[in-house]
Amino acid sequence: MAFAKPSIKRRLVRYVPSITIMVAYSCIPLLGIRGFWLDVLTRANIFALLTLSLDLYSGTTFYLNLGISFIAGSSAYVVALLYRYLGMVPEYSIIPAIAVAIALSTVIFLPSIRVRGVYFSVLSLLLPLIMVSLITSQPLSLYLGGEGGIPLPSLFSSYARMLPPRERIPFLQLTWFYLTTALTIVAAVLSYKLAYSNFGFMLRAIGQDEELAEASGIDTTRVKLLGFLVSSTLAATAGALYAAIRPPVTVDVLIPANTLVPPLTAVILGGMGTIIGPLATNYITIVAYELLWDAIGRWRTIAYMLLLIVLVILKPQGVVFHIYLKLRKAIATKLSSVTWR
Amino acid sequence: MSSLLVCEGVTKRFGGLVALNNVSIEVGKGEILGIIGPNGSGKTTLINVISGVLLPDDGRVIFDGKDVSKLKPHVRVSLGISRTFQGSRVYPYLPVYYNVALSARSVYRDPEIARAKTNWALTVTKLIAEAVELPINLTPFKLRMVEIARAIVTNPKLVLLDEPFAGLSAEEVEEVIKIINKLNNLGVTFIIVEHKLRYLMKLAERVVVLNNGIKIFEGPPSEAIKDREVIQVYLGGGVS
Amino acid sequence: MGELEYILLFGLFHSVTYLVFSLGFSLVFGVARLPNLAYGSLYVLSSYLAHALSSYAGLEMYWAVPTAVLLAGAVSLVVGELVVKPALKMPVSVFITTMAVAYIVEEVLNMLMGLRPVVLSLYPGTSSILGIAVSNHWLLVVGVCILMVISLTIFLLRTSTGRAIRAVAESWEESMRLGIDPLRVLRVTFLVTGIYAGVTGVLLAPLKAMTPSAGWSPLFAAFAIVVLGGVGNLIGTVVASVIYGLLEQAVVYFLGGGIARVVPLLIVVLTLVVRPQGLLGRGE
Repeated sequence: MAFAKPSIKRRLVRYVPSITIMVAYSCIPLLGIRGFWLDVLTRANIFALLTLSLDLYSGTTFYLNLGISFIAGSSAYVVALLYRYLGMVPEYSIIPAIAVAIALSTVIFLPSIRVRGVYFSVLSLLLPLIMVSLITSQPLSLYLGGEGGIPLPSLFSSYARMLPPRERIPFLQLTWFYLTTALTIVAAVLSYKLAYSNFGFMLRAIGQDEELAEASGIDTTRVKLLGFLVSSTLAATAGALYAAIRPPVTVDVLIPANTLVPPLTAVILGGMGTIIGPLATNYITIVAYELLWDAIGRWRTIAYMLLLIVLVILKPQGVVFHIYLKLRKAIATKLSSVTWR
Repeated sequence: MSSLLVCEGVTKRFGGLVALNNVSIEVGKGEILGIIGPNGSGKTTLINVISGVLLPDDGRVIFDGKDVSKLKPHVRVSLGISRTFQGSRVYPYLPVYYNVALSARSVYRDPEIARAKTNWALTVTKLIAEAVELPINLTPFKLRMVEIARAIVTNPKLVLLDEPFAGLSAEEVEEVIKIINKLNNLGVTFIIVEHKLRYLMKLAERVVVLNNGIKIFEGPPSEAIKDREVIQVYLGGGVS
Repeated sequence: MGELEYILLFGLFHSVTYLVFSLGFSLVFGVARLPNLAYGSLYVLSSYLAHALSSYAGLEMYWAVPTAVLLAGAVSLVVGELVVKPALKMPVSVFITTMAVAYIVEEVLNMLMGLRPVVLSLYPGTSSILGIAVSNHWLLVVGVCILMVISLTIFLLRTSTGRAIRAVAESWEESMRLGIDPLRVLRVTFLVTGIYAGVTGVLLAPLKAMTPSAGWSPLFAAFAIVVLGGVGNLIGTVVASVIYGLLEQAVVYFLGGGIARVVPLLIVVLTLVVRPQGLLGRGE
């Protein structure tokens, strides 16, 4: 039959390149890359979760979930507050924090998810800004740390203390890198599976014609809500990890210029809804940004924004995924010509 | 013949405009009902109310003995009402296969059944060759077929077709009519909205004529073309 | 003593300024079908321009202020032409591009002027209303705002351009059939709304500390008002502005300015739960 599933062998062969990339990426510390660059990659891993979160929901439905800053920020703050008031260290508070952040964002966004149109996007963009002003102004700043943020011990630091002082920081950097890499790989595989499953295609259908989707049998509210929940889980995980790895928790996590703009650029540049494109772009842009630090420095946000405007207007279908497809095609023709002869 | 769909005094207003004014219709199981009327007479609004895209301000829609007036469109699809839109609405950037399969998948829990149903619908509408194409590369006729495939894949008892013949050539219209007759023989009930009466002459046993949201005629198409009020509504427009 | 009068008076004062600001926002929302997220930055930009023109270029205030307002209108026009028009075919794009413009303006101001708030002084001194001391500047603000609301109403109802704007806001297809060029209307709308945002900016700069990121808060207020009043609904916007201004001042008075930031959020969420089409809006 024309639409039967491909054979198991063929499916396994298809996974070879992606598995190679994952293994190669995990081997980076073995090449002697430590210290600063390992930190950069750890941060890139966390941002990869945000990028996947944004791409999985907004890249498919075109409902911009600009609120990933809000979701990531709230889970970061829950991690911090659980330490401040209950003495819970991040090892234990990450999972409850993710749960709280998802619950919170669902309550706030549910009404706007139901409604068609742009309300959801505007609400999600402005919400984190409200949170920032709430946290930094009286009287809540007393309880929420205000401008200075909330200090907390970083993840696994209690274990690190058992080591001699010189080995502590390398140990932490390596553990964080592997933890975030593992999580990113799991998240990436799941997101890819989901984005190209029936469910993913339903999200895309909603993005292309929501009225039609509803009228032709798709329970749009349920699909949108589920998509939002998966997306929120990824963003909340990123936020909690960020808090646990880079304390203190300050309003910086909530500010969209920090936690929304890089993933958004990755999604647009990488190709909306393609998962692979944005994921690759996320790493490229973050590493490129560090390399270009001396050249652009504080022009970063402006550079990102100008890039966004130009891309959105000239190449809304994304650049990186396009290149990837071309590359795959070139490799495929090369391979087939080899095997045929 | 027992009735499959009953609309009782359906009224729909938009601002000050009355799009449907106390319209009642009844459709029997296995029947093909035509709805005709000039532009803006409320034909599409009626389809929207039956399929749940719009909620009526007044009146009830009873389907298969169940009041569905307040149900959401996707629930009605799973109960057995499916529809097409005017001017072929499809997901422009999803392959034809998914355009059809997503509806199947949302009605059938079992993915294998959904797959089989999708293959069946694509076969009936002769779309197998185009299954991996994007709709933007298709002809208007093939697009219409995608819509029909999507409408029949959910195993409907009632299919609402909104101007299924608009913009098609004579042979293509014959193709569509063939499919409608084929499904009708399998027991599917149809409501067909058309601007022109000509195509419904052969197809429909009964037509309802709407004008300014009011039902002005109900009966066999052969009598509709003799009715004075119907002729008056169509004066200059041409009934044929 | 005087609590209620205080809340009423300042609530209404704020309502009027919100009204002017959100009328412009609503107009763009109606015509372009999408929110202009760069709208708040025009508000900030005009006050910074007025400040720059008067302190660095040495212009007198009564020259600096109108120039700044017109410049805000011009910037808005450029935003509409360069960034909104090419992106109109994909709704997400307009979102991203206008947001990007807002961030660019914010960053540039941050770099040039720093985070220190800007102070403008237009009309010093105080008067007394109902026994409450009110700075003269507030009276100027309210006067100008009322004038602007009236002139916008006349513009929309009486002039042919105004009618064209309303037609486009109603339906792009219909208005094209009537021989109206929606893109030209879009241009006019961006110019006019830029001026309205600019006026609110220079008027409020002496009353509120103006920082590069100050545009977001009124933007959210305008969004809440438009959601509450219904997009493109003039009377709805008026009613919603009054409700919003009074509610916000009451919360500020009793619970403090920090908590008051939640007011727009509450309004948006509750409206979407109860009446998604807005307070006076029509159903779908």
